[in-house]
Amino acid sequence: MSIFCLGVNHNTAPVEIRERLAFAESAIPRHLDEIRDLEAVEEAVVLSTCNRVEIYGAADQPGEALDRLVEYLISHFEVNDGDVEFYRHEEEAAAHHLFEVASGLDSMVLGETEIFGQIKKAYSTAQTNGATSRRMNKLFQQSFSVGKRVRTSTRIQQGSTSIGSAAVDLAEKIFGQLDGCRVLVLGAGEMGRVTAQSLKSRGAKSIAVSNRSFDKAEALADELEGKAVPFEAWTDMLDQVDIVISSTGAPGSIVKKADVAKALKRRRGHSLFLIDIAVPRDIDNEVNDLDNVYLYNIDQLQRIADAGVAQRQKQIEICRGVIQEFLNEKGIEALASVPVDHPERGAGTDSQSS
Amino acid sequence: MDKIYLILATLIFLGGFVLAVLALRTGKHGTGRLNVGLAVAGLVFQCLFLKERGDLHMRCPITNGAEVLVFISWSIVILYLALGRAFRLSLLGVFSMPLVFVFQSIAIISLLINDPGARPPETLDPWLEMHAAMSLLAYGAFGLAGIAGVMDLILDRQLKSHEPGRLFYSLPPMKYLYDAMQRLIVIGCGLLTIGIVSAFFMDYHPTALHWMVTGAVWLVYMAIFVVNLLRGLRPKALSKLSIAAFAFALIALSVL
Repeated sequence: MSIFCLGVNHNTAPVEIRERLAFAESAIPRHLDEIRDLEAVEEAVVLSTCNRVEIYGAADQPGEALDRLVEYLISHFEVNDGDVEFYRHEEEAAAHHLFEVASGLDSMVLGETEIFGQIKKAYSTAQTNGATSRRMNKLFQQSFSVGKRVRTSTRIQQGSTSIGSAAVDLAEKIFGQLDGCRVLVLGAGEMGRVTAQSLKSRGAKSIAVSNRSFDKAEALADELEGKAVPFEAWTDMLDQVDIVISSTGAPGSIVKKADVAKALKRRRGHSLFLIDIAVPRDIDNEVNDLDNVYLYNIDQLQRIADAGVAQRQKQIEICRGVIQEFLNEKGIEALASVPVDHPERGAGTDSQSS
Repeated sequence: MDKIYLILATLIFLGGFVLAVLALRTGKHGTGRLNVGLAVAGLVFQCLFLKERGDLHMRCPITNGAEVLVFISWSIVILYLALGRAFRLSLLGVFSMPLVFVFQSIAIISLLINDPGARPPETLDPWLEMHAAMSLLAYGAFGLAGIAGVMDLILDRQLKSHEPGRLFYSLPPMKYLYDAMQRLIVIGCGLLTIGIVSAFFMDYHPTALHWMVTGAVWLVYMAIFVVNLLRGLRPKALSKLSIAAFAFALIALSVL
């Protein structure tokens, strides 16, 4: 029995096609039954995320199974045959593809980790619904091992890939975990909101928002579950916060070196991280000269993000080497060594815990 | 055989350092466990060296400068292995290895040129043993604080320059380094205090110079501890003080 993979992803299909092919989460068990009722398909796992729709499976005649699957998808999701081109992989190529996906090499944000959890969930759903047996169980267990190995033995996750993630990574490099960090947002613009959201998602708890228009400050504070501060009062908070995100529309700098120096005296050695994403800049550049104060503007954050993306791209070949090494060690040969059998439909009997 | 053990330990620490640098340069990760393994292997050979020397002298093997350097190196390694993970400072070992390598290389050269041989005591004084051992363990803690200070200054420079280098992503956060420096200084002060108190009970009476030097080192570190406690030293200031104080402590030790 051979393994195969059929799918589309963000590189091969536009969002208009991906959204039509997307499997509703609640309907996946039914689809799994229907796919396994197709002639030649013995096992199946459906991986459906916003960036990809893929079906992994096992069959005695993989070519025939792939043809049946294409017919099924086209008829079921009502796409025109010419509108979509599925990629097809068999045997080692299919395993290699899944291992790359699990390692984040095929993701829109190279090296991201969310896909790993999505694959685990897809496998778990298939396993729970009896759609997997020996080959899929073995393949997916191996993909989890490879994904972990790639992430721990390479730098594919290292470096920031966006302005928001660069700001968060820098904050973590200064403060460690962000759960005790207090954040002050100056301005109620979109960039400030997105950056504050990123910090909040990583644990920052206390968020204060200050804006010339107090109503807008209150609205953003509500969204961030923080508090609004009158614009005249934000300087008094400088000694109480760890991170300042500034994105006002002020024509000149509003955060002066003297204000920060004064606040530092009351901070008992605690560091201060200033993120200036406003253009024109809100924070005096000389503030960075103060000990224990780290100021980054939008260009500097963008450069870090660009360098992070470039660094991750350099890691692709190293990651592929790790995957190939794994396949050479115990990959497809181990899968191929599984005796050909025709498991009872619905019998995912030899599953291993993930 | 003792020197062979010491050479093997030294080569292992050099190997660990080279491996870590290569991993950082090539982008290969996952060498952390191997580095800890190498540190443990190096520690085993250090222990074997110290045991052989202890058997030779029939007391704690800190009878000459070379043995003192090895004992400090041993303290640094054992404290790193004991505390590095708790302080979330995996890279501390990588930064410790060059210092340990230098200390032990000096010890090897010194012993190969002139090994003073056995120096058994006329009578074994446990207070003397306690004084020497605790004081040198304190040096291990101070050494690690200095190494954490170096790491903090590197990180500070990279953050200030806005151009994170290769090391940047491997270094621990500044807060962890700052916390580690504070804790290591407290641990070192505690150990050194025990060492000094032990000296009052020794049969052998230390010279005035010995008291002055030991007291000066204790005072320097206590001053850092108290000022930090009362006023809260900034991380950069604490890093510089940790490095300078350890350099001073080493010079003071060489005077003895």
